[in-house]
Amino acid sequence: MFVARSIAADHKDLIHDVSFDFHGRRMATCSSDQSVKVWDKSESGDWHCTASWKTHSGSVWRVTWAHPEFGQVLASCSFDRTAAVWEEIVGESNDKLRGQSHWVKRTTLVDSRTSVTDVKFAPKHMGLMLATCSADGIVRIYEAPDVMNLSQWSLQHEISCKLSCSCISWNPSSSRAHSPMIAVGSDDGSPNAMAKVQIFEYNENTRKYAKAETLMTVTDPVHDIAFAPNLGRSFHILAIATKDVRIFTLKPVRKELTSSGGPTKFEIHIVAQFDNHNSQVWRVSWNITGTVLASSGDDGCVRLWKANYMDNWKCTGILKGNGSPVSGSSQQGSSNPSLGSNTPNLQNSLNGSSAGRKHS
Amino acid sequence: MEKMSRVTTALGGSTLTGRTMHCHLDAPANAISVCRDAAQVVVAGRSIFKIYSIEEEQFVEKLNLRVGRKPSLNLSCADVVWHQMDENLLATAATNGVVVTWNLGRPSRNKQDQLFTEHKRTVNKVCFHPTEAHVLLSGSQDGFMKCFDLRRKDSVSTFSGQSESVRDVQFSIRDYFTFASTFENGNVQLWDIRRPDRCERMFTAHNGPVFCCDWHPEDRGWLATGGRDKMVKVWDMTTHRAKEMHCVQTIASVARVKWRPECRHHLATCSMMVDHNIYVWDVRRPFVPAAMFEEHRDVTTGIAWRHPHDPSFLLSGSKDSSLCQHLFRDASQPVERANPEGLCYGLFGDLAFAAKESLVAAESGRKPYSGDRRHPMFFKRKLDPAEPFAGLASSALSVFEMEPGSGSMGWFVDTAERYALSGRPLAELCDHNAKVARELGRNQVAQTWTMLRIIYCSPGLVPSANLNHSVGKGSSCGLPLMNSFNLKDMTPGLGSETRLDRNKGDTRSDTALLDSSATLITNEDNEETEGSDVPTDYLLGDAEGEEDELYLLDPEHAHPEEPEYVLPQEAFPLRHEIVDTPPGPEHLQDKADSPHVSGSEADAASLAPMDSSFSLLSVSHALYDSRLPPDFFSVLVRDMLRFYAEQGDVQMAVSVLIVLGERVRKDIDEQTQEHWYTSYIDLLQRFRLWNVSNEVVKLSTSRAISCLNQASTTLHVNCSHCKRPMSSRGWVCDRCHRCASMCAVCHHVVKGLFVWCQGCSHGGHLQHIMKWLEGSSHCPAGCGHLCEYS
Repeated sequence: MFVARSIAADHKDLIHDVSFDFHGRRMATCSSDQSVKVWDKSESGDWHCTASWKTHSGSVWRVTWAHPEFGQVLASCSFDRTAAVWEEIVGESNDKLRGQSHWVKRTTLVDSRTSVTDVKFAPKHMGLMLATCSADGIVRIYEAPDVMNLSQWSLQHEISCKLSCSCISWNPSSSRAHSPMIAVGSDDGSPNAMAKVQIFEYNENTRKYAKAETLMTVTDPVHDIAFAPNLGRSFHILAIATKDVRIFTLKPVRKELTSSGGPTKFEIHIVAQFDNHNSQVWRVSWNITGTVLASSGDDGCVRLWKANYMDNWKCTGILKGNGSPVSGSSQQGSSNPSLGSNTPNLQNSLNGSSAGRKHS
Repeated sequence: MEKMSRVTTALGGSTLTGRTMHCHLDAPANAISVCRDAAQVVVAGRSIFKIYSIEEEQFVEKLNLRVGRKPSLNLSCADVVWHQMDENLLATAATNGVVVTWNLGRPSRNKQDQLFTEHKRTVNKVCFHPTEAHVLLSGSQDGFMKCFDLRRKDSVSTFSGQSESVRDVQFSIRDYFTFASTFENGNVQLWDIRRPDRCERMFTAHNGPVFCCDWHPEDRGWLATGGRDKMVKVWDMTTHRAKEMHCVQTIASVARVKWRPECRHHLATCSMMVDHNIYVWDVRRPFVPAAMFEEHRDVTTGIAWRHPHDPSFLLSGSKDSSLCQHLFRDASQPVERANPEGLCYGLFGDLAFAAKESLVAAESGRKPYSGDRRHPMFFKRKLDPAEPFAGLASSALSVFEMEPGSGSMGWFVDTAERYALSGRPLAELCDHNAKVARELGRNQVAQTWTMLRIIYCSPGLVPSANLNHSVGKGSSCGLPLMNSFNLKDMTPGLGSETRLDRNKGDTRSDTALLDSSATLITNEDNEETEGSDVPTDYLLGDAEGEEDELYLLDPEHAHPEEPEYVLPQEAFPLRHEIVDTPPGPEHLQDKADSPHVSGSEADAASLAPMDSSFSLLSVSHALYDSRLPPDFFSVLVRDMLRFYAEQGDVQMAVSVLIVLGERVRKDIDEQTQEHWYTSYIDLLQRFRLWNVSNEVVKLSTSRAISCLNQASTTLHVNCSHCKRPMSSRGWVCDRCHRCASMCAVCHHVVKGLFVWCQGCSHGGHLQHIMKWLEGSSHCPAGCGHLCEYS
């Protein structure tokens, strides 16, 4: 079902992130070797490195693309406590002839006093906005008031999370019914169990982000967090990479029922929890329709998860990182959700509703 | 603190024990130095000069060397060094340029021994000879280095760096006569202590000041230097020219560098600004620190390994007025915390995956998760000094590509491109779309289209006359239909159907309500609209409809809500001719012989559907009150659309929404519709389906959506006479008060298709220009430009 195409990345240290652009034709990688590389897909489907440059003076943790409406723009964040915005320069030069493109730094965001662990552009309909989170537990939201001027960013919000942050995810919903929302995960390793996922929502009245929810059941360090693309759904799906893969649904309780002005209340259900990686899970990523979740863990495998029509999530494929043959169907049997057996007390705390049900 | 580990190291009889701890100093520290017994540390600063003993649990102040009532500038220390052979001998560098030695063996309270006042400016560094008891070296801001023999009252020799200030001086550990000095201008000099006239060797090590250097304790040729350029470089000094062996890039300027004992490739650094942490690097992995100590709240100013043969204890002093002992075991290890994998789902179902090679190569890299809750996160591997270095960590990058046809997003693109959304009768649209879905193997979707056709259109087999006659005996006609629907469509038993079934119960009351209100509204219109009928439409469409006829040219319709345009409207007639009208009313209008529907009413409906939704409602209602009214199904259809949207198939939701138009629109709140539209458009744009996306934008009735493709399209036009930009008003130029768009051939104002040369901006009627350029290649305006028409 899958064909593995191995790419000689030629990064001199670990690669920490890969990211496709809006159209899926370009890819950016970032590495501890302090560089970012941009890859373009040729007609034949091969990936060619068209740019590679030193971006930071520390490990680059994340790289992410802006919506192409704003140009060919990347943001990166690093151990060196900064985040940076990069733009590709179009023009005739020697680089062009060699098939190389030129990227210039448009801004450096230096507000953090510790390692900046994640950076994400806000959904396009919010304008040109950027959120960063850092190891000191602060989420910062920047905005470029003039989308034509990428060198001017103003710090709009600072949200204190009290815990060292490792990852953030914007709620991608374009619905007017959903106010801007951002989920933050923490990889704080301290033994005292605290909820590691917090969700903040923008309040139109106070013009501030306020905590809407805390996922109390997630107490292990969270390495990655991802809202599923919201294609007209009324609820939100959130995937979390911690010691296992977890999928939550957040269903907004109708506004009329809550006191107006306050944060939206959510009915939160855990719909899936898988420890098949049998190790730390590092990354989760949704497909474009938000129907398939890919996760990768310390076992070096990528696993694909999909819900059937009964909303039961199942493993639909396993990909070995080195491109060795994929044993999709044979693994099916072993992929019983650990739900229920592992977490009997968990569901009680979640509004008393059982997991794996429909959202109706 | 209780979790901090305790380390005991046996070192040739004596043992080092301790834990990570810190103590508060009275004032910021500038430098620290350890006694050779590894049990005492001296802290020196602008207003502090104290000796602490390192106990197991804490630091204990042993001696305050600042004595006397009047603080002397001589006591304001920039640097301090404890002799590594004589436990009683210390030297400090004062900020006023004085070098002071201290003898702890003196019986009086004042331990000050000797005073050398030879430097003119601040002394940055003092250094004892590692093996010679009486030799002291100093480096000063005045650019000179001086060598003192402690048995004499003044310096033995003076070395001139011939440049700006000296930042560091360090005796070589193995070469008896050699010392290195670093300078503010980026140079490193190597001196022979016997030859003060000139340096043995000089090279530029850094861009900007070199703040520090340290000789490797074992490899005598290795010198580490740190500079303001945030780099630590390791030089091999044994070769003829200093060779850069390693280069570590840190995140802030490097103020101190110290090789780690017993670890050939490790060194510790700290910075003099911004960064308060102490890092330990493996020079072979120059990008990620092997360990990080984060205890200090201000800049770390002095670091020292506690014992020259123990790699686990590091002492540090800081501007935050604290003295710390760090245990290597308690350090945070960015390497371990660093995310070893990257994963991204592509648009076409392809997956990019980058992973640490050791994880994917074999099972060896696998770290099974044990249920240990105490250390759930990282299985902290103690950095064993003896452990062989595995080389640079690297990642394998691969892209998993979907084989064509195995669940990639190809179906989405095909569907988007092939669906017919408007321009034909509903039944035909449904049939067409069902066919498309079936061909792409999406049977459930195909079934849904068929169902919709059955719900909203009378079956094509039923002739129109027959239908008209059946008015009044609705139940008899409706029931069989319902049956067939059940038989045919419930059998697949897929999610949507069961769902719909279940929802039927809850929403029955709503249906009734809608029903009654609908009849109320439509009663008065019933008579008028009775004659308009979909079946006829269907036949009509059948006769003329080809699949590619998606757009109907309708020159009579100009958009009523036309905003102010930059150009005269005639310039772009094509744009406004492509007006597509919702399928229902448009056919009403086409059927000119229908006596009951006035043309203007239908017209209004097609132009502003939202305003006339009631009359449209009546149209469909009037048709079907003979059988089960479509309103009966509207709740089901609404739920079905919701179902598709929640399942991630917003394409289906939007397509049905457009095709059914007014029939379902009223049942779904505006906000949800808008959400679906924006989501679908976003998806289409991701796949670069600009045409489809534009069609959807145009077909949408939501105001917020339909204005999408009217935004940010601006044409800037210059007047063909004065070459100035035209204002937004019409075709008359503001400046030269002439009509701008004159035809260069017939000299009349062009009020239709205007074609112009982009070179000279002359142009005119399309026909005229085409004709002209057939015979001549010059501009008809006579400007001499060679115009091209292609």
